[in-house]
Amino acid sequence: MNPSTRRALEFVLDNLAWFMLLAVLVVFSATVPNYFQPGIFANIVEASSVLGVMSIGLALVIIAGHMDLSVESVAALSAMAVGIVFCSAGIGIGVQLTPDWLGVPVSLLIAIAVGGAVGAINGLLIVKLKMSAFIVTLASYIWVRGLVLALSGGRSAQDLAPVIRWFGVQRLLGLPLTAWIAIASFVVFSTIMSKTRFGRHLIIIGGNENAAFRAGIKVDRILILTFVLAGAVAALAGWLLAIRTSGATANLGIGLLFNAFAAVVIGGVSLKGGVGALPGVYAGVLLLSAINTAINLMGLPATSTQLIHGLLVLAAVLLDTLKHQLRQKLA
Amino acid sequence: MTREPLLVLDNITKKYGAIEALKGISFAIGKGEVVALLGDNGAGKSTLVKIIAGGLEPTSGRMLFEGREFLARTPSEAKAAGIETVYQDLSLATNVDVVANFFMGRELTRRVFGVPVLDEKAMEAVVAAALASAGTRIPSLRTRVEHLSGGQRQAIELNRFVHWGGKLVLLDEPFAALGVEQTRRGLDMIKHVASQGIGVVIITHIMQQAFQVADRIVVIRQGVVAGDVDSSQTSPDAVVRMITGETLAGAGPAG
Repeated sequence: MNPSTRRALEFVLDNLAWFMLLAVLVVFSATVPNYFQPGIFANIVEASSVLGVMSIGLALVIIAGHMDLSVESVAALSAMAVGIVFCSAGIGIGVQLTPDWLGVPVSLLIAIAVGGAVGAINGLLIVKLKMSAFIVTLASYIWVRGLVLALSGGRSAQDLAPVIRWFGVQRLLGLPLTAWIAIASFVVFSTIMSKTRFGRHLIIIGGNENAAFRAGIKVDRILILTFVLAGAVAALAGWLLAIRTSGATANLGIGLLFNAFAAVVIGGVSLKGGVGALPGVYAGVLLLSAINTAINLMGLPATSTQLIHGLLVLAAVLLDTLKHQLRQKLA
Repeated sequence: MTREPLLVLDNITKKYGAIEALKGISFAIGKGEVVALLGDNGAGKSTLVKIIAGGLEPTSGRMLFEGREFLARTPSEAKAAGIETVYQDLSLATNVDVVANFFMGRELTRRVFGVPVLDEKAMEAVVAAALASAGTRIPSLRTRVEHLSGGQRQAIELNRFVHWGGKLVLLDEPFAALGVEQTRRGLDMIKHVASQGIGVVIITHIMQQAFQVADRIVVIRQGVVAGDVDSSQTSPDAVVRMITGETLAGAGPAG
């Protein structure tokens, strides 16, 4: 094989999720009536904001060679915290700040503090007490959701303060600001992963934790920080979710965890750790969203969405295996 | 030959529960000296290296590094003091490229708008120069290490320690995966490093290698020093007898 074909093939393998997204969009545009229009594409991006942000946190932890099942519940808890403080109906207390716009940074701060705190608890238990990440975050997945139920008493908060809602209403280039926040998060975290020492160390820890430790990398500190980041990012997803639903319900966001998993795996992140990049994860999120949109447009029952997502995850893992074999042949 | 002592081990012990892996190890390593650490499997060589390198804490005993009391609780503390270690199982992250491995934990950065970002070009240039001067050929420095052969991997690891040097280098069976020619080059590297005044401790099973490169041979047997002799004043046969416990020639702590 000559070097240029080889390089081209490597490029396709590295960006497989984007090529899959492109293929899916082309196929749907050609076969599904009314699919090919700017409004639909804008909708695909818009609908993937919450899932996208949540997937970033999950991807960071998985790249570091660990696991965080709690991101969905953390997002719900943050949304509920924001809802209780800044909603004016239901269980909301409707806190009024002067000036009005202070509600935006304060609500963000509340959400991120809640998420960061859960992330810190996860990180400390996993890193300092050497407990299994799977079990610790499974427990968090359950108790954090329990906390949401306890706080809300099963009821919901409605009518989020308009100044916060504004991010979901105001549009820039056809997309609401919430979608731009998701895109900006991907840009920021992709840059952190590929251009900073922290990102490099995270990838090395995912590849060989022992080697990283021996090389003098402060593995414990970086891993705890990663869990805190995953919690904080999940909280940002919760903040976006609260805006989207203009409040919070006790069962908010249920099922998002598995979609986030699907997006991360489709995006090329290996569950073994150390492999994958965030731009691919964004492609994975958009791909899921594109398929959901097609299902809606075709008028298929919503139940088929789950079936298709499940198959898609299987296909992604299969693809990952094939990719690995292909790469070994290339080497 | 009397050298200025670099590292002095004084009655180091290590217990794992009821098992005494090290029962009191005392010897010294001089500046620019190559010490070969020999002993049967399970004699405690690797445990001792981990204690010096900060991977394990001793149960008792003390160390003097450059005349000062020394104890590394983590590998980064040992590195900060100037102790580099090459482990038996390689310490490479196979999921990143050669450059990232070479600079693991010591990445160079440049500031973009005040934010430190990885300076890939500068790092690649340093790695290229280091590998070229050691005569190691690797097709592309941007290749992930998983695509390289065992010999190439070990060469990266060896070049890494030669480049970073420090004051003391610990090598735990560094040539296990190398061919004849690469091993010869590796032994030359060790001599070159020692000639710069860096102390070297090398663990090996191969007697011939020990005699080729070491100034002194220290034999550990069942957790104690069973022999500590200048390599010019002993023979492979004598060393084998120390390893197997037939004699205790030259035993005792070194001054």
